[in-house]
Amino acid sequence: MRIVTRASAVVAALFSLTTAAQAQSANIQALATVYQPISITGTRDLDFGTVFPGVAKSIGVAAATSGQFQLGGQASGNVNLTFTLPTDLVFGANNLPIGTWTGCTSATNTTAGCAAFTPSGTATGSAFSGAGALWVFVGATVTPAAAQAAGNYTGTVTLTAAYF
Amino acid sequence: MRPCLLLPLLLLAAAVTPVAGQSTVTGIRDLNFGIVIRGVQTTVAPGDPIRSGRFYARHLLNRPVQLRFTLPTTLARVGGGGTLPISFGANDAIAQGTAGNSVPTTFNPNSPRTFVLRTSADFYVNLGGRVSPAAGQATGAYRGTVTLTCTFF
Repeated sequence: MRIVTRASAVVAALFSLTTAAQAQSANIQALATVYQPISITGTRDLDFGTVFPGVAKSIGVAAATSGQFQLGGQASGNVNLTFTLPTDLVFGANNLPIGTWTGCTSATNTTAGCAAFTPSGTATGSAFSGAGALWVFVGATVTPAAAQAAGNYTGTVTLTAAYF
Repeated sequence: MRPCLLLPLLLLAAAVTPVAGQSTVTGIRDLNFGIVIRGVQTTVAPGDPIRSGRFYARHLLNRPVQLRFTLPTTLARVGGGGTLPISFGANDAIAQGTAGNSVPTTFNPNSPRTFVLRTSADFYVNLGGRVSPAAGQATGAYRGTVTLTCTFF
């Protein structure tokens, strides 16, 4: 009995000795880049003014009545622009088709030298200026039918911006 | 008599002793929160295949290994000028063997956890977490070091 006890003690000691913990360490980095929030303001409506039945009317991005958004964000930050666009302007039960959307982005509040793009539900890449500014101009075409009902037609253009 | 008993025991012991280099741990992917917005808490799940942190470790089948993280409480702004709080929840770590039948095990990275490797001798450890930028957090890049220490038995 004494021998067994001694042997067990030896086994335990040996196992403990031979299975001595081997510790190893490895590192990774935890990374984050803090940006300031994006601000978006619709600063001007896309206004077609008076249109006539049967006569399509387009508003270009450089027009005084093009739609305009002002964005603020991280200086030089990349941003995706995604639009939710109406297919019709609505007046009661009457629809006025709208389409052929055009867009332009600029670091300043002017369309001179702006970067053209086609607004859509698919993200368009852009970037804030070094001062964290971005303007987006939007144009489109309405196509009144020959029997288009008279009235004030409206629709909503929504711009969503997200860093990438 | 005693030497006769000791010899086979020594041989047994030699047979089960991990060979140097046989047990390893390597960091293979940073925990990357990407762009976070001031004032908006951002979480990366440990199962995120792109942003979660990841380690690879190898030991011996049917042998225990203890995993112990050394986790930062803040990330430091690169170039100085601020810190960004970071935290890790009770379910922010996942260990899974590389064998097809290995079952992922979620555990708390804030406490040591010991596993016995039943289905495969090598395994991955994924780490998620969350950062909590203040509303007035200084913009810029932040980083901190996460260490995984494996104690191989």
